Amino acid sequence: MVTDLRKCVTCHACTVACSAEWGVPAGQGRTHVRTTPLAGTFPDLMSSPMVEQCNHCEHPPCLEACPSGATFKDVAGVVQVDKDVCIGCGFCVDACPYDARFIHSLNRKVDKCDFCAPRRARGEQPACVATCTAHAKYFGDLEDRDSDVYRMVFRDGARRMETHSVAVGPNVFYLGKPEHLDLALTNFPPHPPRLLTAGQTLQKVVRPLLIGMVAATFLGQAIAFFAQIRKGEEEHDD
Amino acid sequence: MAQKISRRRFLGTAVTAGVAAATAPVAARAAVHPPGWTGTERVAKIATTCEMCFWRCGVLASVVDGKVLRIEGNPNHPQNQGRLCARGNAGTGLLYDPDRLKTPLLRTGTRGEGAFRPVSWDEAFDFLADKLKKLAHEHGPESVAFFPHGNGARSFSTLMRAYGTPNSAEPSFAQCRGPREVGYSLTYGRALGSPEPVDLEESRLIVLIGSHLGENVFTSQVTAFGTALERGAKLITVDPRFSTAASKSDWWLPIKPGTDLALLLAWMNVLIAERLYDREYLEAYASGFDQLVKHVKDFTPEWAETITEIPAARIRETARAMGAARPAVVVHPGRHVTWYGDDTQRARAMAILTALLGSYGRRGGIFLPTAVKTGSFELPEFPEPKRGRADGAGERFPLAPEELGVTNGLVDATLSGQPYPIKAWIVYGQNVLESIPQPARTIEAIGKLDLMVVVDVMPVEQIKYADLVLPEATYLERYDAPTVVTTAKRPFIAVRMPASEPLHDSKPGWWIAREMAKRLDLLAWFPWETPEQHLAKVVEPSGVNLRELIATGAVSFPGRPYLEDRPPEQRTFDTPSGKIELFSKELADLGADPLPRYTAHPEPPGGFARLIYGRAPVHSFARSQNNEVLNALMSENEVWLHTATAHAWGVTGGQSIVLENVEGIRSEPVLVKVTEGIRRDCAYLVHGFGSRAKGMRRAFGKGASDNSLMSRVSVDPLTGGTGMRVNFVRAAKA
Repeated sequence: MVTDLRKCVTCHACTVACSAEWGVPAGQGRTHVRTTPLAGTFPDLMSSPMVEQCNHCEHPPCLEACPSGATFKDVAGVVQVDKDVCIGCGFCVDACPYDARFIHSLNRKVDKCDFCAPRRARGEQPACVATCTAHAKYFGDLEDRDSDVYRMVFRDGARRMETHSVAVGPNVFYLGKPEHLDLALTNFPPHPPRLLTAGQTLQKVVRPLLIGMVAATFLGQAIAFFAQIRKGEEEHDD
Repeated sequence: MAQKISRRRFLGTAVTAGVAAATAPVAARAAVHPPGWTGTERVAKIATTCEMCFWRCGVLASVVDGKVLRIEGNPNHPQNQGRLCARGNAGTGLLYDPDRLKTPLLRTGTRGEGAFRPVSWDEAFDFLADKLKKLAHEHGPESVAFFPHGNGARSFSTLMRAYGTPNSAEPSFAQCRGPREVGYSLTYGRALGSPEPVDLEESRLIVLIGSHLGENVFTSQVTAFGTALERGAKLITVDPRFSTAASKSDWWLPIKPGTDLALLLAWMNVLIAERLYDREYLEAYASGFDQLVKHVKDFTPEWAETITEIPAARIRETARAMGAARPAVVVHPGRHVTWYGDDTQRARAMAILTALLGSYGRRGGIFLPTAVKTGSFELPEFPEPKRGRADGAGERFPLAPEELGVTNGLVDATLSGQPYPIKAWIVYGQNVLESIPQPARTIEAIGKLDLMVVVDVMPVEQIKYADLVLPEATYLERYDAPTVVTTAKRPFIAVRMPASEPLHDSKPGWWIAREMAKRLDLLAWFPWETPEQHLAKVVEPSGVNLRELIATGAVSFPGRPYLEDRPPEQRTFDTPSGKIELFSKELADLGADPLPRYTAHPEPPGGFARLIYGRAPVHSFARSQNNEVLNALMSENEVWLHTATAHAWGVTGGQSIVLENVEGIRSEPVLVKVTEGIRRDCAYLVHGFGSRAKGMRRAFGKGASDNSLMSRVSVDPLTGGTGMRVNFVRAAKA
C-alpha cells in the first residue's frame, strides 16, 4: 500500500469507512489519521499528515510475540489474525512498533488491518482506498511492474516509515516531500518492539496455558470416554 | 505444519467456553452487524443520495433484513465515483441515533421550557391546519414565514406557495453564498451554483482565498484537489490561519482579516502593469477593461502591503505565478462568503481577476454548466400574494433574488412588524439558532410569534421554542425530489430513495407536506400520489430509463464545459451587454461601486481578537455532533490562539476558558489550542459546537458555539448577506 501524504487532507474518511466495514467500535480503529505538530514559527511553518495502519511488515514483531499462533502471514505476505485462535493476551499489541493493533472492546480479541482480505477476495479495493476523498491511497502488488504502487515505490520514491533502530520492513509506503516525511517520522517514529520478559511470560502465558491444558486434557479424556461408550471401539488413528 | 494446526485448534477449544459468556451481550450491542458477519453476505445495495452534508454524493446502502449495515460511496455515481467522506461513511449513526425525534410533539409548557407531549400525526395535522387557516383568515397567508434548507424542502416550498405566502428564505443565501452568486452574476450573467464549477483537476495553479478546502470536505472537490496536487499544480492559500490547505501550499499568505479586497486589487494591478493578463480573451468577451485599468492603477503591491500585511514582493510573485499559469488558474470562489458586508464587491473582484486570467469557461479554470432537460407536472397557478415579500429581497436588498430570500430580513420583519406582522415560522432542515447570527434576536423574534413549527430529524436546540415538532425521516428512509446537477463537466440526474422504512413514528417530508395540503384543500398542487410518480415525471424528458436510474442511482449526460465546446455565436454572457462586465453599470445604477474598492473594517479593540470560524472534515454545520462515530472522532471544538495571544491573555494550551465578546456575551467553556498557525489578531473556532439541546446527549454542552458569540453583523446592502467576521472576543474573567 502507498499513501500519498501530499494529497491527504486528514479528513478521516478512511478511518470511518474501515470501522464501519468491520464493526470496529467508536473510539477504536484499525487506521489512524494524525497531523504532526507545527514545525517552525509564524509564518514559516510546516506540518505533515500521517495515516497509520498495520504495515504488514517483512519481519513482523507481532508474529514473534504471539503465543497462540493466531498471528500469521498469508501467502501474499499479508499479516493476519485467526480470531478463533487468538486468546486476546495483547502481547502483539505491545510488540507492534506502529501501535497498529488493539484489543477489540466488544469481542476481546486482537484486531487490526488485514488490507480488507474479504473485500479483496471479492475483487474490491480495501475500504480505505475505495473511499479516500483525496485519492491518496493506493493498493496493489509490488511485484507487478505495471501497478501504481510499483511506480510509486520504485520510481517516485515512496518511503517506508522506519528508523535505524527499528527496521522491520513495513509494507505501507509514503509519498511526500522529504522534509514532510522526515517531520512525520520524527514525530511518529516506530518504537522498539516491547517483548515480554521471562517472568512476564511465566505469569501471563505459561500459567494460563498450563491450566488450560490440564483442563483440556481432562475434558478431552472425558469426551473420548463418552465417545467410546457411544460408538464402541472403532478405528482410532489420531 | 500439522502439529501447528492442531495446537491452534486446541487453544481455540480451550478458550471458547470462557469467551462465550463475555460475547453473549456483545451480539446485542453490536447489532449493526449480524453475528458472524464477514462483509460478504450483502443482501441488497440501494443506490441513493447522501445528506450528511449538502454536496449530494452518491451512496450505496447495504441492507440486510431491513437494517442498513453499511453506507459506501457509489462507484457508478458521476460526482464522487465511489469515494465518500467520514460523515457519509457514518450515515448509519444518524439513522440509528437513539436521540432522534420519534413522534410528533406538542408543546405543553412555556416557550423555551422544552416541555412537550407526544401526539399522533392526526392530532398534529389538526392542530397545524387549524392554526394555518386561522392565520390566513386573521392576518393573511403572508404572515407565515418559511425557513427551508436542502432538497427535502421542495414539497414544503410548493405547499407554502400554494398557501399563499411569498416569505421563504434559505440560509444558503444570506448566511452563505449569496453575495458570491450575485457578484459572479453581475460579472458573467450567471450565478456559479453548487457544486461550484471549478476545474481543479485540470488547473496549473489554484488560488484559495476564502476556502479551507480539505477541512471543508466536499468529496469530489477534494478528489480533484488531490489530483491537481499530484499533477504538480501550484497552490496559493490566503488565510489568516495555517489551514490544511496552507500546509500544502507553495505560497501561504497569512492575510490580515478583512483586507482581501486590497490584495485582489493589487494582484489586478500587477497583472495589468506587467501585461500578464489575457488580452485576446478580454477583447473577445469582456467590456469595461479601460475603466478597470484606470481604477486599479494606484492599487500597487506596496499600497496593499500596508493594508494586508503581506509583503509587496510576495504579492508580485504570486501575481506573476498566476500570469504564467493562465488560463488554467482556479481562483476558488469560496462558499461561505458573508464576512464583512462588502462581500458582493469582494466576489466581484474575484470574478474580475478570473476574467483577467482568461479562466472563465476555460480548461483548468471555471467551467460552464450544461443544462439537463427535466419535466414537471402542470400545476394550477399559485395564488398571487396580496402583499410583497417582508424580507426586503428585491427592494431593501435590491440584488437578493426572490426565490432564495433573506432569512435575517424575515427576523427583522418579525421583530419590527414591518412591513407587516409575521405571525408564524415553519422551519425545515435547519436550526435557526445556529444558522442565523445574532441568536438572541432570533429568540426574541420567536417570542413574537403565534406559531412556531419545526420539522427535523434531531431534537436540535430550537425545538424548545416550537409549538409543534414534526419528526422527519432521515435521508436513508425517504424519497426526495431528484437531484439535477448542471454544474458538473458531465451533468447528471440522481435519486434519493429509501434504504429503510422510516423508524419510530417519523415520516418523509414529501408525505408531511402532502398530508398538510390535503387538510388545507391544496391538493391540486400535489397531482401525484407517490414519489415514484413524481420522479418519473421529472426525468421523463431527459430520456433516462427510470429503471436504470433507480438501479444505478445516477445517470449522466455529455457536457459542454468549455467555451471552445460551443459555437462562437453561443459564447455570450447573459449580462445587459452580452459580455463579461468588468465595469458594472447595474451596480452604478444602484449607486454602488461599479468597480470593487477596498474599505477598511473595524479592528479588534485592545485585548480582543477577531473571531473567525470554519469547518472540520468530520462534521457538518451543527448537524452531526451527536452522531456516535463522528462524535468519537471530534466531540468538541477548541479555540485556536497564537502563542503570543495566549500569553497576553494569560492562558495555556489545554486550559478550559470562556470566551466573551465586546457586548459581554459569553460562550460555553472551550479548550485552548495554542499554535503558531494563526495570526495574533484572530481566535478560531470550528462551527457547530456548544449545543444547548439537552435531548442530544452526546453533543450537549460540548465546546463553544461561534454563532452564540455573533451578536454583531455587518449587512451587505446589496444582498442582505450577514457579514459575520465582525465580532471580537477575549478570555472572560472567571
